[in-house]
Amino acid sequence: MKNFQANLKALEAADTQVLGVSMDSAFANKAFADQIGVTFPLLSDWGGKVTHEYGIYKDEYQAPRRVNFLIGKDGKIMEEQVDRDAIDPKKIVDACARPTLKN
Amino acid sequence: MHKKRSGVLAAALLVTMTSGLIAQNKAVQSKKETSTMPKVGDMAPDFTLKHFDGNDLKDVKLSDYRGKKNVVLAFYIFAFTGG
Repeated sequence: MKNFQANLKALEAADTQVLGVSMDSAFANKAFADQIGVTFPLLSDWGGKVTHEYGIYKDEYQAPRRVNFLIGKDGKIMEEQVDRDAIDPKKIVDACARPTLKN
Repeated sequence: MHKKRSGVLAAALLVTMTSGLIAQNKAVQSKKETSTMPKVGDMAPDFTLKHFDGNDLKDVKLSDYRGKKNVVLAFYIFAFTGG
């Protein structure tokens, strides 16, 4: 999440809203956001319904895998990063710099 | 004799009900496992999730951003682990 915070200005300049999601409670996520200095919303998927719908629930963790999705204004998925590749969001930040996303 | 029989019947009924529940539970689980990650180009499944902003618990709906903003959805494993 810190990596997205570090790139937040560039993402916002490209009309992009960042939303973190985990299966923690909304209140735990607020405390986590404050602790690490994240200013975008960290959403609570309590119970894991959305995590299951996105097909990224991992039994081993009993929680979601680390996955980033870039979703365009038309609601379609434009980029994905999974597990270790999702730690550095460069691919998504770069994609936001593409002129097509600014429309 | 009569009592014994109804006891057996009750036990049988209980077993039937329990196995029914287990079967139902298994069906729910396997349904969950079959949902796969959407691919690039697919529509992102819509959702409404809770966000606590420090004062209020608010609903955040993915489709509210449609036509307005791109959205980065960043799933992470647990709060308070890593960053």
